[in-house]
Amino acid sequence: MDADTFLPALREAFGDRVEAAARSAKRVYVRLDAADLPEVASWLLANLPESRLATSTGIDLRDGVGLFHHFTVNGSPLVVTLKVLLAKPDPRAPSLAALTAAADWIEREIHDLLGVSFDGHPDARRLLKAEAMADVLPLRRDFDPERFEERSGERS
Amino acid sequence: MSDRKVIQIGPFHPLLEEPVGFSLTVEGERVVAIEARMDYIHKGLERLAQERTYDMVPILLERICGICSVTHSVCFCNAVEDLLGVEIPPRAAYIRTILGELERLHSHLLWVGLAGHFIGYNTVFMWAWKYREPVCDAFEMLTGHRQNSALPMVGGVRRDLPEEYFPAVRRMLDELEGQTARLTAAVLDDPVLAARLKGVGVLSPAAALDFGVVGPTARASGLATDVRRDEPYAAYAELDWRVILRPEGDVFAKAVVRLLEIPESIGILRQCLDRMPAGPLNLGTLHVPRGEGIGRYEAPRGEDVHYVRSNGTNMPERLKVRAPSFVNIPSFKASCLGAPMADVMITLAACDPCYSCTERAMTLVDGRGAPIAAAPGLLAASRQRTFALARAFGRAPDLDLALD
Repeated sequence: MDADTFLPALREAFGDRVEAAARSAKRVYVRLDAADLPEVASWLLANLPESRLATSTGIDLRDGVGLFHHFTVNGSPLVVTLKVLLAKPDPRAPSLAALTAAADWIEREIHDLLGVSFDGHPDARRLLKAEAMADVLPLRRDFDPERFEERSGERS
Repeated sequence: MSDRKVIQIGPFHPLLEEPVGFSLTVEGERVVAIEARMDYIHKGLERLAQERTYDMVPILLERICGICSVTHSVCFCNAVEDLLGVEIPPRAAYIRTILGELERLHSHLLWVGLAGHFIGYNTVFMWAWKYREPVCDAFEMLTGHRQNSALPMVGGVRRDLPEEYFPAVRRMLDELEGQTARLTAAVLDDPVLAARLKGVGVLSPAAALDFGVVGPTARASGLATDVRRDEPYAAYAELDWRVILRPEGDVFAKAVVRLLEIPESIGILRQCLDRMPAGPLNLGTLHVPRGEGIGRYEAPRGEDVHYVRSNGTNMPERLKVRAPSFVNIPSFKASCLGAPMADVMITLAACDPCYSCTERAMTLVDGRGAPIAAAPGLLAASRQRTFALARAFGRAPDLDLALD
């Protein structure tokens, strides 16, 4: 499946709730509300054969924290990115972990590095970030590595 | 249950090349829960990349992993080139393909060796690692370094490959083809290995898709995924090779997929050396405008994904790196549960986990009491199971084949 067949199907299923654009025949970016995320993601996994959550990107933006879920399809060059913007200071998004096991670790990583809370995540413990950094968010723009004092050896 | 125990493996242990902690909860011999702890070597590379220019980032990314140097740097270039919408010159595409396939060859040989080591077949280990060495030598002949070539750059490659070394690389491929064919035949025909590995650590196609596993781990579960075929980058659209698929999903199938991919890689390399086009090496210095791009690359362990976002300056605003092990390692939750302890080590090893990439680590632990067994015990259990099978077959415990 490529962007030309995927986009009309997506628009038909969700109408105004999604703002979808194809950057090329193999890259589709879809803006939507965070609340619609589980529904659109589950539609996508069901309607794109052999699609999977490849990964997700978290990014600290001026207006909030961006959360981009990238879906790839086995046997196809298509990459569909679902983009949501989460309000600071307490960014929250529904978890996709119940839909696909692939969301488990990546949501924990984004929680570690950007402080996004995923509602419904079964196991939201620290995954990658060092213990000594437990109370800082290293990918936030206000994190200053120069002023960070490591508290090594302390348990969190 | 009162007879539950926790076994801790790692994070620092001679058996594990990299720091990772695994906690196994076992009931008698059966594993009922498994957990990984991975926070030992987070290097903050994604943040570091935001403080380097587009020209410097590939050099940084080569240092993500001790194996996949070409993988991450080329994947980043693919992402930026997707943002820019440019095609790289044909000679650069062929050079990237040669580097990528040499990397695949030495990575697969390294895994075959380690897998042999984990189940007590040290002949396989010695063999595979002996054959791997000339591949690294070829990489050094062509680029000046065994691992980090510093060749890939946005819009092409930085330097040319010295064609005077192509005959030596061809000779290496000819020798390697015979050697790996013998190794593959010996491993696939060995009744003890078949009895030891078939049906062990099975990952069903549905679970494979759910966890989103990639590369040989997915192809051994029958999922036809290979970025080289799905979204051809570099020169793959012009080359012929087969995507190796196995339906079984067990450790044996994963070994078969990797072993059979070795001759395919050798074939790709020969085609590249034969058809190497002339022409420019790169597109010069490129201005990266505002925008975003996604790059994909078939690493030896599977699909690598990079997301790049540019704000129009000479440094990326955000780089997201997703190495294949990040999705392959969690699949142990599907493949290890219910398995006997002796099978855990090889099942964990079967996805060719790379902790540097994932985080950037793991251990077997007996649940809530004192550790009942440490990693050496598990390795011994894994080997004893192989030896018992070998005795049942009336065979010497190790492959009785001489090194050539």
